[in-house]
Amino acid sequence: MNTLNLSRRSAVAATLLGLSGLAFAQAGAPVRVGSSLALTGPLSATAQVHKLVGEIYVEQANKRGGWLGRPIEWVVKDDQSKPDLARTLYEQLVTADKVDLLMGPYATGAILSAMGVAQRYNKVLVHHTLGIPSLAKYDMQFPAWSLGSDPATTVPNTVFDALAAGPKPPKTVAVVTSKFPSIQFMTAGAREVMKKRGLSEVLFLEWDFGNRDFGPIANRIKDAKPDFVWVGAIGLDGNLLLDAMKKIDYAPPQHFYLYPSPGPLVSLPDAKNALSVTIFEEQAPFTANTGAAEFVAIYRERATKANFADPSVETQAAASYTAWQILEAGVVATKSLDDKKIADWIKANRIDTLQGKLRFNGTGNFGDDLMRVKQVQNGKWVVVWPKEVTSGGAKLLAP
Amino acid sequence: MKRTPLIIVAAAVALAFVPQLGLPAFYDSLLYLMLHWIVLATSWNILSGYTGYFSFGHGAFFGAGLYTTSTLLARYEWPFLWTLPVAALVAAALGVALGAVVFRVKGVRGELFALLTLAITFVIGTIVVNTPIDGGNGVPLSGVPVPKIGPTQSSTFYLLALAAATLTMLTAWAIFVSKFGAGLFAIHDDEDAAEVMGVPTYRYKLMALAISCALAGVAGGIHALFLSYVTAGDVFTITVPLTVVLMSVLGGTRHWAGPAVGAVAITALLYTFTAADHAIAGKAMIGVVLIAAILFMPDGILLRLQRVFKRAPAVAAPGAAHPPSTLTAQAELAAPSAGHGEVLLRVRGLQKSFRGVRALAGVDVDVRRGEILGLLGPNGSGKSTFINVVSGHYLPTAGEIVFEGRNLSGLPAHRIAAAGIARTYQIPRPFPHMSVLDNVALATMFGGTVPDPAAARQQAMTWLEFTGLAEKAQAHPDDLNLHQRKFLELARALASRPRLVLLDEVLCGLTPSEIDDAVALIRRIRDQGSTIVFVEHVMRAVMALTDRIVVFNHGELLAEGSATDVMQRPEVMTAYLGRPHLEPAHA
Amino acid sequence: MSGFTLPSISLLSQSILSGVFVGALYGLMGLGLSLSWGLLKLINLAHFAFAFLAAYVCYQMASKGVDPLLALGVIVPAFFAVGAGLHWVMARFKVSPFNSLLLTFGLTGIVEAIIQTIWTADFRKLESSYGEHKFKVAGLYMPVPELITLVLAVAISLAVWAVLRYTDLGRAMRAAAEDAPIASAFGVNQKRNALLLAGTCSALASIAGVCLALSFTLAPSQMYAWIGVVFAAVMLGGLGRALGPLIAGTVIGVSEAITMAVTAPSWAPIVSFTLLIFILVLRPGKAS
Repeated sequence: MNTLNLSRRSAVAATLLGLSGLAFAQAGAPVRVGSSLALTGPLSATAQVHKLVGEIYVEQANKRGGWLGRPIEWVVKDDQSKPDLARTLYEQLVTADKVDLLMGPYATGAILSAMGVAQRYNKVLVHHTLGIPSLAKYDMQFPAWSLGSDPATTVPNTVFDALAAGPKPPKTVAVVTSKFPSIQFMTAGAREVMKKRGLSEVLFLEWDFGNRDFGPIANRIKDAKPDFVWVGAIGLDGNLLLDAMKKIDYAPPQHFYLYPSPGPLVSLPDAKNALSVTIFEEQAPFTANTGAAEFVAIYRERATKANFADPSVETQAAASYTAWQILEAGVVATKSLDDKKIADWIKANRIDTLQGKLRFNGTGNFGDDLMRVKQVQNGKWVVVWPKEVTSGGAKLLAP
Repeated sequence: MKRTPLIIVAAAVALAFVPQLGLPAFYDSLLYLMLHWIVLATSWNILSGYTGYFSFGHGAFFGAGLYTTSTLLARYEWPFLWTLPVAALVAAALGVALGAVVFRVKGVRGELFALLTLAITFVIGTIVVNTPIDGGNGVPLSGVPVPKIGPTQSSTFYLLALAAATLTMLTAWAIFVSKFGAGLFAIHDDEDAAEVMGVPTYRYKLMALAISCALAGVAGGIHALFLSYVTAGDVFTITVPLTVVLMSVLGGTRHWAGPAVGAVAITALLYTFTAADHAIAGKAMIGVVLIAAILFMPDGILLRLQRVFKRAPAVAAPGAAHPPSTLTAQAELAAPSAGHGEVLLRVRGLQKSFRGVRALAGVDVDVRRGEILGLLGPNGSGKSTFINVVSGHYLPTAGEIVFEGRNLSGLPAHRIAAAGIARTYQIPRPFPHMSVLDNVALATMFGGTVPDPAAARQQAMTWLEFTGLAEKAQAHPDDLNLHQRKFLELARALASRPRLVLLDEVLCGLTPSEIDDAVALIRRIRDQGSTIVFVEHVMRAVMALTDRIVVFNHGELLAEGSATDVMQRPEVMTAYLGRPHLEPAHA
Repeated sequence: MSGFTLPSISLLSQSILSGVFVGALYGLMGLGLSLSWGLLKLINLAHFAFAFLAAYVCYQMASKGVDPLLALGVIVPAFFAVGAGLHWVMARFKVSPFNSLLLTFGLTGIVEAIIQTIWTADFRKLESSYGEHKFKVAGLYMPVPELITLVLAVAISLAVWAVLRYTDLGRAMRAAAEDAPIASAFGVNQKRNALLLAGTCSALASIAGVCLALSFTLAPSQMYAWIGVVFAAVMLGGLGRALGPLIAGTVIGVSEAITMAVTAPSWAPIVSFTLLIFILVLRPGKAS
């Protein structure tokens, strides 16, 4: 297929991006890392974060001399939020563009497509946003999102531990969730956990991904009078539900949102005391982790310049940055670009990252569940559980 | 004409060697995507482009195939290739179930059909997401073994899609050049007229729908394993139907290969702009290209290319077949009359009401073989309704129609046409997108049961000669003047070799000399052995042609007898002129 | 799937009200599309893009302190011009109905790209004083933005209906829709009327967009979420009928809301769309 001027130009542009700000000569050809992202389409709101993080990381790394003394070039393509296109693009990256290493795409569907390609060509794949660990069946894939291998059980347990240690441990729970795959699976686990912990489920509702009208759902929650609402939200859902609840003068006593878009949620006045989970926040002790402080500053500056609604680093950006850190660690430690060597090394070692020290020797190469509970307090996200990672005496608040 | 399938198969075989070229595997995947969309767009076009029933539901049938395969693979561990025919069957069954109900309802045309099919997509999508078929979790298929058809996994999908695309293209072409296809295009242009010409519209629409869905189901089945993780949210949306519509319209919906051209063009376009820095701008570029394409190529890329290369459009007649001499034509017109004067058509107590308006209040009419029966009456007396009911355009409210001893009341129009009755329309209703020749050929095939389009065109030529339209064979009806269009109606009516011809005000709007031509033609038609019922206002034609006349008034039979006789009766004159006649009653 | 729960009266009525509100928005969004399709024979997919663009412009103006409803004064004329301009292009090239679908799809992509470039793919929420207020009538909550949408939807639909039915302009447009050449022969200035109508349709889209911005969070790809259901409302309501989209939209919205109130919300689309199918198949045939 003839390469059009457009893609030639963009390859040059990508190279320039990787080398931006640099003037000194680098020895050897660039190390090319390839990936796709959902730069357009419904998933683009989050994918733009990953694009920025990748750019920042590659810049920083090149400032330090690159990998193995060579500059890094990031070849990123737009999979338009379509898993079948993601598969094709990864095949292009491996077989036609012949990149040295792969980086994962955004969102579970695309990651699974990329994983299939990686498996067929024996490439190591570090990914940052796989929401269903049991689907990751490839030996040489590694998650940067520290969910642990059984997040459907461990994450809800963390959340309910936090609530139990809080001022008003709930007894009745309303569970409402989107039917998006990675959400639904977590909510199912949460329901099991609740049963085991003796909590009473007063309402269970599922809605179609893409639902527009949350009025009736908000009404049913209000009618059920729960102590605590578990909202299996992704993206906008949490906001829409809160809007709907506000419209009927209802504020749940305690509420939790699984994977909301953090920026829009925190700025909503009605999201007061909303809980969520995270692997990283811009506060101690997280900011003491490897690379955190510097990254947080640069990201804020660049995100503001790019007109992002929320310029702070949280789960998505942190997972993305971690992924690059993992890949770099593997390359540097094995002094090679050999996928098998890198994979073997990652599996056998612990790596210092933004999230802390990570291990990859659990089921499916997952390590510890590092999801922490955070809460919206005074218009800011504050980590409130477990105690070890809170700072300044932060505590879970309940009205 | 049989070259085309050979070319398709040859191209397929040639393309099958692409994986052996040792190109990077991603070309296989990219080409797979193109072939995948070729199947989807072309299969959509078989129903929607050919018949004009625009479906917004292709996603539902595609999804049905996708989920059939994924369920069989994940739950029942079937071997992959065996799931494909089942996927096709399930999709087709779904389509036929929908069509069986929807096509029965009169008035579901155009946008209503589009809406219904869109609604089905959301209904099925919701069912899939809420039941164990998917349940919201998606169906992971990464553990399923992919059969080793090509050297790499991607090439296996490519070859499967190539096979599917070849099958689809061959099917689309075969339908396009067949009698079935001609019927579908007639339905597109004027479904009611097609039905009256003898096209079994209900059956044909269902068949087209079934084929379209089956092919979409196969594409879905293959795609399930390509994705290796199937989620409902991607499938049961408006995206798939919208995309196939765009591809088909861009390529050209009236040609069997149009959608394939559109599919390749749009896939290539989408793919070109996946370089990161231009992703968003790329989206805008695609929009610009689409707009430019549609402004400058309104009939689709394919037709524009054909015009540029000055190839004859594929709908052309297979060379101007030299018609046999008019003598033979005349002899072929109708079976020699078994008995002149016997009753050919017997109508008893025929009633037709339209929501409270009684157009026919119970008429008894006999039509004798070999006669020209005039059907007269003031406006609104039920003459056209009579023709419409007898030809099957309307169903009678009550009464009996017996033709050549067979009871025809209540039969669908296409069966009545097959029984040997033909009619013309007062305002001509030719099929606008077909050539004059094809208009007549259609009647030959469906009313006259000639199965082969080529033979039908040859026969059609004779009818065009008979009516003096031979030089206009390749013209389109819009290019004809009223007189010629009326004669086209006549040619169409005759082409099915009917024993009874119903002419609905065929002379209205013609100049006096044109009327003379028409009268002569009608006489020649009767001389060949056809029986004619002739609704008319032009009195001199009535006097000149008819053996008998009947007069209708307010939906009832008012008078019957010879023309001169009947026209002098007082009640008839009153009916026409509205004033009692002052002379004494007839002697 | 959870079974059926008998809802309390307040839950049911509040849900129905919620359905009415969202149905009104479907109707308002669909009105321009219906008129354009029915009277101009052009299927304007870009209608949604215009609505969202207007929503974003309103958001932008609101973030600079302009009252959203006042912003209508700028937005409506601007989009009127855009709509008329688009129609002028389509008329000049004699674009057929289904080709117009393709063309406006291309336009939608362009507008989406523009939106994403200026406002990024992030979610944007318009914070206005309207969003803070609500009325409580007989135990039912009526938030102000939704009320505004409902009032606008009803008023505009009625106004358009009255114009089409009782004014000469309306009759001229309906005549031109049925048979343009004949209408011209009777002195109808079809070209000018068409431009007027096209501009109005886009202006209607922009009003719908402002209502959207008042009630919902915005994202560029969100426009595709509305296409399916609004098309359904348009087609169900009958093309070119001013009250059609509103009534049909309400039917769809309310049926979905009731479903969500009594059973698993994820079944809602099946109820509304099955209802739609029944209505279409069982109602007395429109054509002969």
